[in-house]
Amino acid sequence: MQSREEVIIGNQAIARGLVEAGLEIAAAYPGTPSSEILPGVVYFKKMEGLKIHTEWSTNELCAFEVAFGAAAYSGARAACFMKQVGLNVAFPALLRSREKTIEGGLVIISCDDPGPQSSQTEQDTRLIATLFGIPVFDPASPTEAADVAYYALNWSFENKVPVIIRSTHRVSHARESISLYSPGARKVSLKEGHLAGTGRKLGIVASGMSYSLVYDVIEELGAADVVSIYKVLKVYPSSEALSDFVRSMERVLVVEETDRVIEALIGDHKKVMGRSDGTVPSSGEITYDIVRDMLSGVLGRLGLGRKDLFAPDGTIEEALSDVAVVPRPPKLCPGCPHRASFFAMQYLWPDAIYPGDIGCYTLGISQGAVDTCLDMGAGVTMAEGFYDAFNQDGKLVPILASVGDSTFLHACLAPLYDAVKNRKRFILVLMDNSTTAMTGMQPTPQTGVTVDGVKTRSVAIEEIVRGLGVEYLKIVDPYDVPLMIGTIREAFDYLKGDEMLPAVIIARRQCLLLTKGAAKEAAYPADIESDCVGCKSCLATFDCPAMSFDEGLKKIRIDDSICTNCGICYYACPVQVKGKALRKLKVAVKQGAK
Amino acid sequence: MKHEIICAGIGGRGVLLASTILIEAAITSGLKAVASDEYGMSQRGGSVISLVKVGDFASPFIGRENGDILLAFEESEFYRTLFFLKKGGLALINTRAKGLPSSVDALLKKRGIVCRLVDADGIARDEGMFQSANMALLGFFASFGIAPFTPEVLENTIRARVPEKFLAKNLAVFARGCEAAGAQGAVKMPQQGM
Repeated sequence: MQSREEVIIGNQAIARGLVEAGLEIAAAYPGTPSSEILPGVVYFKKMEGLKIHTEWSTNELCAFEVAFGAAAYSGARAACFMKQVGLNVAFPALLRSREKTIEGGLVIISCDDPGPQSSQTEQDTRLIATLFGIPVFDPASPTEAADVAYYALNWSFENKVPVIIRSTHRVSHARESISLYSPGARKVSLKEGHLAGTGRKLGIVASGMSYSLVYDVIEELGAADVVSIYKVLKVYPSSEALSDFVRSMERVLVVEETDRVIEALIGDHKKVMGRSDGTVPSSGEITYDIVRDMLSGVLGRLGLGRKDLFAPDGTIEEALSDVAVVPRPPKLCPGCPHRASFFAMQYLWPDAIYPGDIGCYTLGISQGAVDTCLDMGAGVTMAEGFYDAFNQDGKLVPILASVGDSTFLHACLAPLYDAVKNRKRFILVLMDNSTTAMTGMQPTPQTGVTVDGVKTRSVAIEEIVRGLGVEYLKIVDPYDVPLMIGTIREAFDYLKGDEMLPAVIIARRQCLLLTKGAAKEAAYPADIESDCVGCKSCLATFDCPAMSFDEGLKKIRIDDSICTNCGICYYACPVQVKGKALRKLKVAVKQGAK
Repeated sequence: MKHEIICAGIGGRGVLLASTILIEAAITSGLKAVASDEYGMSQRGGSVISLVKVGDFASPFIGRENGDILLAFEESEFYRTLFFLKKGGLALINTRAKGLPSSVDALLKKRGIVCRLVDADGIARDEGMFQSANMALLGFFASFGIAPFTPEVLENTIRARVPEKFLAKNLAVFARGCEAAGAQGAVKMPQQGM
């Protein structure tokens, strides 16, 4: 029986489907675009008054193993949620789990990030599932995602096999009106097969959001009578009907994100167009314009095209060519404590080696204080590798690694212990903002709060760092830029000593999104405009979204509407008189912190 | 009825709330609607685009030169997203400026795009609600009466969506936005869609 409708995003729809299917255990580590699924489970379990165990795990492997443990031997209906690169962290357990007969049900939701928009790589969860023979679904909309989640958990429970649902950020973050059913009562509508079109010369096979796009573009092009569209929902194992469809078409075009999976399963390179022959771009998100261009081209080549196919109006770009539009590359928020840390790091040693990690603070790259971004934890371990490479040549160079608090707990404990045990000398700046900011402010183990909002034991990072054997440990407020710079210098002096251990500086200040707004360190937005000589050096070293260069006045301008009054940009201004900040800074650099 | 609407602005300024109100207004009016957001990696201060599609569509994407309506919550984001707008579309821009660069004016004229400027930030500031410029632009849009986005429907959706604490002020800003359109002598648009 249908209870009601609610406008929710795809991730909440997935949560709803699982809750309705009798989910008992859910564990996750946040990662865009998957982060809203677990809070969705909490929301719906409270709404329905159900008892479901929900937890933020410390990483994806923990999440997977909690869910697998519950499903494998206790007979529970369990699920775990992660982003596509998180699935790599859970990989050892995932591969073993497919061989085990589980007693209960297990659904793994892995959300891919075509583009990638918020990941270090694109990666296709469907490819991993297919390679290792794990059933995988690819829903095409939030509505279908809710149905698939419901169906998959029941199917897994009945067949005693883990199932993967692959979402993409366009499915996970699209908003639709979703039907909410009573638990156990969902009316599931799963669509797979030859769903649209009547042509035989070109068959288009597509799955997930790519199917939805192809459908809309074919509507716009009015080509439904000359092509046929086949929608794939269960990518692996693939159905007989798909083989029949492919056989019945003269040519076949496969549109899928982000890798060649259905295309490889079909084979037949003579008949099939797709990524292999360059018809579909080899990487990047498939957008409406890409599909429209691609289909127009293919229809034209096969003699199925129409004369009035879409041609872009180039005069739009011509008319805009002289209009100065503020560029808005990804940046740390105004007032972000990370920006202050990066400024201090970069100020002291512009040419140091800066191994970085995965989180908001990867954006420190624009301040010249992040050089690498490999995977979670690599900020620490790559620092070790850099140290070894220089140490072999008898050189001790400044290496300043940076990592956030949530990532530290996720992936850096073993690397930091490794660095202690193997006597590596570098400085680790642990940027502790008390939250998992980039993925939407989830609590960390240090916060001491569960996903349900219940108090739990909090674990202090400094105790862990000391426990791992680190001796040099300082906790500094990154807004105190002179102290920060002095401490980094002091830490490097320590590295020159006999201890031969890494030095750790915890730069601790809460994320501004957590404190809800202004830093309020100063009463007014920073006045760096009046002294400005137009040198633009603050743009390079500070890179605050509230700063822009006024080409007319040849001066920096501060946007009062987003400035948080943190006042840290005074340090970044080499001519600033009012703040006297730089002079203080130079004294601090000379003396070192006491 | 079909509408493809682009809401463009910067992070932390209520673009997503505005698009949520549009999609919920469409759904409560018995229409199918889907929205998709792009906000990249920036939490605050980055470009935010929210695409709203009303009617029988499968995907939440909007193609180049397919959009019917462009609501620009920042002038810079208007230029960045103008390529979405179809010939004969409607563009509403929050800006203090009294006019657009002449090359853009000529382009809009050539493409038959109806464009109106409104100082939504100014309206919101006058009401002491700087963060509610989104409501002023929505009010301005409502006065065009493009079904289902009439002032009544949008106002009811705002009532259902905005927390009680901020509701009265938000509605006041919304109403001022509606009036601003009247003051400009904005004509009612013919029914959009196909």
